Amino acid sequence: MAVDFEPKILAFCCNWCTYTGADLAGQSRMKYPENVRVVRVPCSGRVNPQFILRAFRRGADGVLVCGCHPGDCHYATGNYFTRRRFMLMRELLEFNGVDPGRFHARWISGSEAAKFRDTVSEVTRTVKALGPNERFQEASGEES
Amino acid sequence: MTNGQKQQLIRDRAAALLADGAVSCIVGWRQTRFAGKTAVCFVRAPEDATLLVWNEYTIPLTAKYLADERWTGGKAGILARGCDSKAINRLLRDNQLEREKLYIVGLPCEGKADERCRPCRQKTPLVYDELLWEEDSAADGGGTSAADADAPGRGRFFRADEVSALGIDARYDYWEDVYARCIRCYACRNACPVCSCRECYVDMHRAGFQSKRQNAADNRVFGVTRAFHVGDRCIECGECERVCPMGLPILGQTQKVIQTAEALAGAPYEAGLNAEDENFLGKFDLDDKDAFM
Amino acid sequence: MSKVGVFVCHCGTNIASALDVFKVAEAARALPGVAHAAEYKYMCSEPGQQLILDAINEHGLKRVVIASCSPRMHETTFRKMLKKSKINEYLLEIANIREQDAWVHADFEKATEKAIDLVRMAVAKALKDEPLKAQTIPITKRALVIGGGIAGIQAALDIADAGHEAVLLEREPSIGGHMAMLDKTFPTLDCSACISTPKMVDVGAHPNITLLTSAEVDAVKGYIGNFTVTIRKKANYVNHDICTGCGACEQKCPVKTDSAFNRGLSKRTAIYKLFPQAVPSKPVIDAESCLKLKNGKCGVCEKVCPLGCIDYGDEDRLVEMDFGAIIVATGYRPAKWQRMYDEYGAGRYADVIDGLQFERLVNASGPTEGHIARPSDGKAPKTVAIIKCVGSRDPKKGHAYCSRACCMAAAKHAHQLIDKLPGSRVFVFYIDVRTPGKGYEEFYDQTRKDGAVYVRGRVSRIYKEGDTLVCQGEDTLLGKQVRVHADLVILETAMEPSPGSGALLGLLGCAKDADGWVTEAHPKLRPVETQVGGVFLAGACQGPKDIPDTVAQASASAAKAIGLLNKDEMETSPMIAKIEEDKCSGCGACGPICPYKAIALEKIPARDPGTGKKIERLVARVNAGLCQGCGACTVACRTGAIDLLGFRNNQILEEVDALWL
Repeated sequence: MAVDFEPKILAFCCNWCTYTGADLAGQSRMKYPENVRVVRVPCSGRVNPQFILRAFRRGADGVLVCGCHPGDCHYATGNYFTRRRFMLMRELLEFNGVDPGRFHARWISGSEAAKFRDTVSEVTRTVKALGPNERFQEASGEES
Repeated sequence: MTNGQKQQLIRDRAAALLADGAVSCIVGWRQTRFAGKTAVCFVRAPEDATLLVWNEYTIPLTAKYLADERWTGGKAGILARGCDSKAINRLLRDNQLEREKLYIVGLPCEGKADERCRPCRQKTPLVYDELLWEEDSAADGGGTSAADADAPGRGRFFRADEVSALGIDARYDYWEDVYARCIRCYACRNACPVCSCRECYVDMHRAGFQSKRQNAADNRVFGVTRAFHVGDRCIECGECERVCPMGLPILGQTQKVIQTAEALAGAPYEAGLNAEDENFLGKFDLDDKDAFM
Repeated sequence: MSKVGVFVCHCGTNIASALDVFKVAEAARALPGVAHAAEYKYMCSEPGQQLILDAINEHGLKRVVIASCSPRMHETTFRKMLKKSKINEYLLEIANIREQDAWVHADFEKATEKAIDLVRMAVAKALKDEPLKAQTIPITKRALVIGGGIAGIQAALDIADAGHEAVLLEREPSIGGHMAMLDKTFPTLDCSACISTPKMVDVGAHPNITLLTSAEVDAVKGYIGNFTVTIRKKANYVNHDICTGCGACEQKCPVKTDSAFNRGLSKRTAIYKLFPQAVPSKPVIDAESCLKLKNGKCGVCEKVCPLGCIDYGDEDRLVEMDFGAIIVATGYRPAKWQRMYDEYGAGRYADVIDGLQFERLVNASGPTEGHIARPSDGKAPKTVAIIKCVGSRDPKKGHAYCSRACCMAAAKHAHQLIDKLPGSRVFVFYIDVRTPGKGYEEFYDQTRKDGAVYVRGRVSRIYKEGDTLVCQGEDTLLGKQVRVHADLVILETAMEPSPGSGALLGLLGCAKDADGWVTEAHPKLRPVETQVGGVFLAGACQGPKDIPDTVAQASASAAKAIGLLNKDEMETSPMIAKIEEDKCSGCGACGPICPYKAIALEKIPARDPGTGKKIERLVARVNAGLCQGCGACTVACRTGAIDLLGFRNNQILEEVDALWL
């Protein structure tokens, strides 16, 4: 692993809670690592697990999915489906040989700027320790 | 009752149903040119009923072929074992079949010559219009006995257990080996009774969720996606693996989904037991497990 | 190739000092599809917006990406700006390089690199943006106001005065709510009935108001502008169409049961009016105490009624009505302190009463005709203890929140005692005295000057000693134990959400907080709206409130409802789910995911792919009025037949891809 390895981590954040929390972290001038790039989605329920596969396939070193806390979903129940989908996806990824440290999901509310900061820091630290992700990227089969 | 006697019962009943116009066809099995291989066939005339066979090799699932018959007038007759009936339930649940357009001839199964039939827990059909014979509980045609279920690598999730037993890197290599050999022929998808989309996402003209390129990495994305798409509806028939021309052990992916669904919900989960139940991913429980949040 | 314009904002020095805005613009210029890139000090300013509009014309731009503050800040601003241009306002993406970049990173180089990535992602998504057009939905010009307390009364009157129809729903037999029970209102001490009953009468007489008492909400369907509400009109066994309210039935009814309106301090008959000034001023039969309804014996009221209004066979009736807006004004209930405070006797001592009971005792139309007589023996108390924060600010036994109105209620009660019982002594036990309101502090000061003794501390125990109740507690200012031998103890209890309000909120789809109060759409900026479009809130259902705040909020809520009802139709966000019917197999996996029940399966004509025969097949359809655009359904669709406009699958995938191009 390169000493100066800077992972690229993709984060899906719901517009109403986590994206707002991330904005609040900015308004509060909190500092966190530069490694995370946020994709804004209306609800964590909008995040298709296939987006995560796509990110790994393209070269993501880590992926983070964030939404409102259970019970706080702007759309009432969206995040309960998120929870099932990604609890399942995490297991399935691990089953397929992806280190669980590369995929994270967190509930972060609009007021939890500090939790956003801490989550990004923690995920970056974890992924850094794992090194660059090569899984899902080796194209060892025949090209056509 | 011997398989020969059962086969005669099937032929007689099929001929009678066709003769009195109760059904417009019978979906069953016929012998192929290869010993030990049968194929699903449509019999449309009483005199052709003699084509139908029943033996330890009548393995393929009949239900999926019905989807092609659903728009034709009249009732379609189908020979259905437990697995076929679960498939029918799934297709009914997904609005791909209409119950009133089916005539289901139930055939309690004695287990077939296939390791994927071993864990089968549903020999007698769950839904039928008539049963041709009663399940013979004494017969042991390969079903899981109590001792079998506990034996490593022989239980309901035998394939998934095989992979789960490996370390994370070995698991990756296991699948690397599988998907490097995969030729993306989509036979697994075509045979699957719960793959009922009008157009599969991988076939779309504009590449959407994934590349059509055939290499281990993209094949792997297909494999995991397929598990996510069909896992919570999977009726555990094993057709996907059985039809794979490369002989790839892919059943573990969907088995893993079911296994995880059971663990997350803390309750037994089995798709296709009826035509009403919501899919695991189509519902939620306020108290669902929330380990990583 | 579609021409994208990228505009990088300095935000003064907010962004420009933390990352290299020039380099970001330069990098943007090199991106595929980008025809023009510029940076400017303040993109949101007048000249900044003009710069973008000019560039659109000059370079023939087809899409716009603005790298600036959060889209939550200025997305609307820039959409409005685009309405002045040739570009559809949805062909816009915002790269958040302020809140999520410049403000959170200290490393200039890395922050710049990240900004370039964010711009690249935004450009990739913008290239897949499609022009969207807001849809319009019709508005039913009628409002439903749920709850006939002062909040509901005020809201209904405001809506009706503005020329719209209002239906005021009250589950009790009369409107009036808690305010009708009060004697005087702080700080002006005007008589509560004198100011509230005229309003009640106005409601009863207003041509635009339909008053439904003894009624509850049974079911709610629909969405903003188009609600269909099933209302249960509970059986009251009296035909109000012909009843004149003569009162003969009440005089003859042999049953005596506790009067809830008088908080159990008096009895009422089984056929009764809630209180003398009730609106409508007609009696109802309480089925639980009526002898005829309980065991078929009696029937006196039927015999004495000169007009034959009594109908023992009356049943609940369900009516469906359409509404454009709904106002929730379900109010509060006083906390059941008996369950929380065993040390105060848990209800064993008749002379420990709550504030509302005192209101009835001191009220001229109350059970004692305004004479303050203690419940146990009817004697006028000489020493009275008032205990505040009973159930409030006490997370261990009651609630963590402050109930806001009790400090002033306690001061008022102290004043009334001193005023009506010269020579009496009043002790007020308090944690803090909170009097933020016009004339409140002055009133509290005056009460103390008049002789009320304020003791800072909680009463830890009340026990009986002879004829008196001993309130024992610590005076935390003196730092010693005090005992007050009181003849009467008044507990100023906490407010709690009205019973049944939780179920109602469930029917409406509104969220409530941990304590059960309705959650507003935004605590500061949208305080009278709920998270459900077209459903507003007023009064104590949102949290403890006094009358001035309640009435102010009711009028605000009414203004919101009037604003909605003034429109003939309204625009809805076009960023909603869309179904490609060709791809849809009708499997119905999307339906159960939708929290708004916006997806339904419908049969459409089609052809059998095999035979070419005409057939009908099922496909999913999205109701644009119900869909809120969460996109949860899209994940359930394996084939991608259902997609979310503005956040399409391919748009998100492009964003992902852009990071690793």
